Amino acid sequence: MNNRDSSRRVLISLLIIVFVVLGFCLGGEFFSVQNLQSMAFQIPEFTFLALAMAISMLSGGIDLSIVANANLGGIFGALLLTNGDLKASLGVATLCIIAVSVTLLVTSLAGMLNGILVTVFAVPPILATLGSMMFFSGIGMAITDGEGIVGFPDGFLSLGLTTLYGLPLIFVIGIIFFIVIDIIIMGTAYGKSLYLYGENSVTSMFSGIRNNKILVISYVISGFCAGMCSVIMLLRLNSARVGYGDSYLLQAILVSVLGGIDPFGGKGRIFNVLIGIVILQVLQSAFTIFGFTPYAKKLIWGTMLLMVMIIHFVSNYLGEKRRVKNLLAKE
Amino acid sequence: MNSNNESILKKYYKKRKTETILMITVILYCTLVGIVNPDFLSFESVFDILRSLTGIAIVSMGLLMVLISGGIDVSFMAVAISSAYASITLLLYLGIDSLWLAFIFAGVIGILLGMFNGLVIHFFKLPTLIATLATQSIIHGVLTTVVGTSSITASRMPYAISKFGSALLWEIESPDDYIYGPSVFMIPLIIIIGVTWYILNKTLLGRSIYAMGSNQVSAYRAGINLLKIRLFIYSYMGMTAAIMGILSACDVRWINPITMVGEELFILAAVVIGGAKLTGGSGTVLGVILGVSIISILNNTLVFLGLTASWNNFFIGLIILISVCFSYYTQMKRKKASLNFN
Repeated sequence: MNNRDSSRRVLISLLIIVFVVLGFCLGGEFFSVQNLQSMAFQIPEFTFLALAMAISMLSGGIDLSIVANANLGGIFGALLLTNGDLKASLGVATLCIIAVSVTLLVTSLAGMLNGILVTVFAVPPILATLGSMMFFSGIGMAITDGEGIVGFPDGFLSLGLTTLYGLPLIFVIGIIFFIVIDIIIMGTAYGKSLYLYGENSVTSMFSGIRNNKILVISYVISGFCAGMCSVIMLLRLNSARVGYGDSYLLQAILVSVLGGIDPFGGKGRIFNVLIGIVILQVLQSAFTIFGFTPYAKKLIWGTMLLMVMIIHFVSNYLGEKRRVKNLLAKE
Repeated sequence: MNSNNESILKKYYKKRKTETILMITVILYCTLVGIVNPDFLSFESVFDILRSLTGIAIVSMGLLMVLISGGIDVSFMAVAISSAYASITLLLYLGIDSLWLAFIFAGVIGILLGMFNGLVIHFFKLPTLIATLATQSIIHGVLTTVVGTSSITASRMPYAISKFGSALLWEIESPDDYIYGPSVFMIPLIIIIGVTWYILNKTLLGRSIYAMGSNQVSAYRAGINLLKIRLFIYSYMGMTAAIMGILSACDVRWINPITMVGEELFILAAVVIGGAKLTGGSGTVLGVILGVSIISILNNTLVFLGLTASWNNFFIGLIILISVCFSYYTQMKRKKASLNFN
């Protein structure tokens, strides 16, 4: 309990520091409505990827295939959206609904494939998702030959630009979705089982939890989140291509670790990941204003990831030491 | 007593199941390609494939050690390009034209970067995948922002390096006056494979690596110095990566800091297909060589079968999934039979 709150306190103070420092450095340019709104447009797709990563990390695994999965789903959706015959016979609205459902279905099935590999065949998550990452991008490549699919109906694209009271629709969807996932993970029996599985899979098995079911569901949710991300990428980019957003993988891991999700599983809160996402997005747009190259960004993300993990390690180590000391003092 | 009655082949199969299956796969696949396209079964294409797999094979030897020790490394391509680029830049700056110095400089840089990985992983007890993912970005980020992103082209490349890239061990003249033969890349390849095999099978160090991968705590209790072993493994990884970087520069006579990074997965795939387990403690040199052969033969022959290069990822992904399913499924069955639920 105490530990959890301290992690959130650290994150919130970090967020405030980042805001204050950037406010001083960039002033009005940073806090302009335009910049804030453009951040709100960029956050959602990344939110879904971070969620997908965080859920798989909670179970003590990792899902390296999220970006490839999102691209694969996007390609299927894009193939439907650009199909002129279907558009003529079904109308734009129906076609959009079908395309979105197909995208989500494809990515959820792909997530299920990961889940089956990890449970039924007992393949370590790193390898299973690594293999499926190549496999998914391979399917995408085989379908598209590596070229982009472009030219979606205007009715579909306008969804991506819609705003509600100044907030982008996709941002609102992202936040709602985030809260739903948070409730599922924090408030339901399923979520508790997932935590237990991540903490100790043997114990959870002997306490009557169906490990395989829990794990497959978690990978399906992860795949579904990747699908949501891919729908948003379709909306924002008006194209689908293999290899888009590869740099997101590192960032998704960074954000999950930054949000306090333990890569060994069973620890961390989904809500803290959201704070991590905001910090990362704020830094991201600041770097864009500063005009950093993608390489410099990569360097900074990598350094941050390493630093965050080291800080977690040191604080855990010190906390453990203090706990032992208190125990000894009591005796 | 029963085993005396079994044939040698059967015994070999029992002992080295993965390797046997891989070998049969390679032979069957090559026959298939040979039937579809007879051009494939010539010395020329064999030498071509050998030459193209040299770099992958060398670096996969380092990666094999990391996997046996129970870790994983995704930073080696960043190490390879960084050490090779830095070393060639240094040679150009000093105005020296020497192949040996290129290898030595790159090797030293590679070893230092590898040690950095090893230290970070050891002292902060980090999950190796995420730690090396971070160091990959750091190493590559430092190279591209500090050293630069301009490529060294063939005209500026030191002569010794370009010469090494096109040298042949011995020359064979084909009927139509075309000279071909095994590349000199065979020499480093054979040396590295030999050294790795010797370390893993004939030394205390190699046994300690296997022990550490099987059970780290037991290895520690048995008096193995984990820090020393880790430092050795990751610097060996760095060194093999550096050699690969230089060989790649020799091969294409051109080097650019933004190439190579992102190709890690193919090599990881090769090692994994070769039977090295991510859970540590298993993996053999022969298996990895076969895994590397499968990956590079597949990469080079899909064209022979009339498929475009776009299909590479699809087939490689499929092969990885099938091979890992097979090997981990049997492992799980065995564990369950002995009531081991971990």
